[in-house]
Amino acid sequence: MSMKRINKELQDIGRDPPSQCSAGPVGDDLFHWQASIIGPADSPYAGGVFFLAIHFPTDYPFKPPKIQFETKIYHPNINSNGNICLDILKEQWSPALTISKVLLSICSLLTDANPDDPLVPEIAHIYKNDRAKYEATAKEWTKKYAI
Amino acid sequence: MSEFTITIKMTGDSKHQLQVTSDMTVIQLKEKIAKDLDVSVDRQRLIFSGKVLKDNDTLETYKIKEGHSIHLVKGAAKSSTTGNTSSNTNNTTTTNNNNNNTTTSVPSNLEAGQNAFDPLAGLTDARYAGYNIPMPTMDQLGFGSDGMQLPPEGQMEQMMDNPLFQESMRSMLSNPQMLDYMIQQSPQLRSMGPAARELLQSDYVKNLLTNPQAMRSMMEFQRAMGGNGLSNNGSSFPAPGNVNNESTENNTSASASATTNANVNANTSNPFASLFGGSNPGAGFGAGLGGNPFMNPALNPNLMNLFGNPAGAAAGTNNTTTDTRPPEEIYATQLRQLNDMGFFEFERNITALKRSGGSVEGAIEMLFNGSV
Repeated sequence: MSMKRINKELQDIGRDPPSQCSAGPVGDDLFHWQASIIGPADSPYAGGVFFLAIHFPTDYPFKPPKIQFETKIYHPNINSNGNICLDILKEQWSPALTISKVLLSICSLLTDANPDDPLVPEIAHIYKNDRAKYEATAKEWTKKYAI
Repeated sequence: MSEFTITIKMTGDSKHQLQVTSDMTVIQLKEKIAKDLDVSVDRQRLIFSGKVLKDNDTLETYKIKEGHSIHLVKGAAKSSTTGNTSSNTNNTTTTNNNNNNTTTSVPSNLEAGQNAFDPLAGLTDARYAGYNIPMPTMDQLGFGSDGMQLPPEGQMEQMMDNPLFQESMRSMLSNPQMLDYMIQQSPQLRSMGPAARELLQSDYVKNLLTNPQAMRSMMEFQRAMGGNGLSNNGSSFPAPGNVNNESTENNTSASASATTNANVNANTSNPFASLFGGSNPGAGFGAGLGGNPFMNPALNPNLMNLFGNPAGAAAGTNNTTTDTRPPEEIYATQLRQLNDMGFFEFERNITALKRSGGSVEGAIEMLFNGSV
């Protein structure tokens, strides 16, 4: 069941990937994927390529995939381990979602952070109170780690 | 080698079709793109299937086939570095790889990360996520100041019938880390030593926790317990589990006082407590089960003795003597809250609060569904 579904997603994402994301299995193991997100142009992450690791649970799609950033990124909802604070990866997961949709959500999270539900409160604080400083730091990190 | 078409996607949604062969190397592809799209080779980063394509690999290596899309990211021209394009791009990709390697190694290290010492963190991972199983995360447990909010019985039964839930319970019980955690957190289990682990892994307990039938009969048992007066002795956690501890008298009194002093703690430390607690008296039952898993509520023929067991009465009286204040005093704040919300029936409010262990939400639930 999960194999079939993952294969289907792999086919779809190979033919028609979202414009800013791409994903596929790391090796022969279909349950372990690698993904990359191209920093959205209207964000301080523009020009960067961010890598993510995706692990599918054996009961996918009934459980959400585990997704982590492997590239360091300065963002209120992503911590230094690459963990992402995104509702659809947790309680709001639905079997109707796909990797492609999840990656798009992560993309939009990069453009519009959610400082009210932060994973890194310090960054959220700066994001809210000193947007220029946040953007400068995010740009600097992007340049350092993602370009 | 036959030619096929791939799509190059660039930022800004522009697409470009390209004829390629599978034995073509990435650098050859880049040169082709450079010619067609006017992006110099050293500014190109090609991404397929989540990976940055390395110059010296062929398209076949990446299983690129007819109709696939490749992303092209335009980087800043690396004029400052050497003029040798191919070695230059090679450098960038290797850096990326190194970067990946180091960062992946971090999360797998238990010491790293903010959840390093939170054994529950494992529970919140994907395996146990979804389906709103109320047990894994602490915030979902909803600990109140003097009690916890328990899922209504109906919801409990529904949950139990869900095969996925049963599956996750089973997998949790077969997860040694989880077992260790449960044992660590429960003083009674800890004192049992290695036997505790065996017990939790035993088919019996597994069956009990994953079989809806068994759970249902446990809940019926709880209802029966609720009716026999134990729950009206001032404590909302009669903890029948402690009651039948015939062999260890000391243990009984110790845990009885522990129940009164640390109702919340007992439950907090037992991540399963909320599961077994269908509604009110169940909380004690859950803690009791954690504490004394030998008890066999559904199948044990001695079950009926429990009710008449003097130890039980003792535990009950113990509870009342520790907190002699009248319920309206204990639950003064909660009563006020209920009044504020428009519940004015004093007796019902008190009964509901007693049953919910002081949880206002739980009390409201009961007031609404008319169980008090």
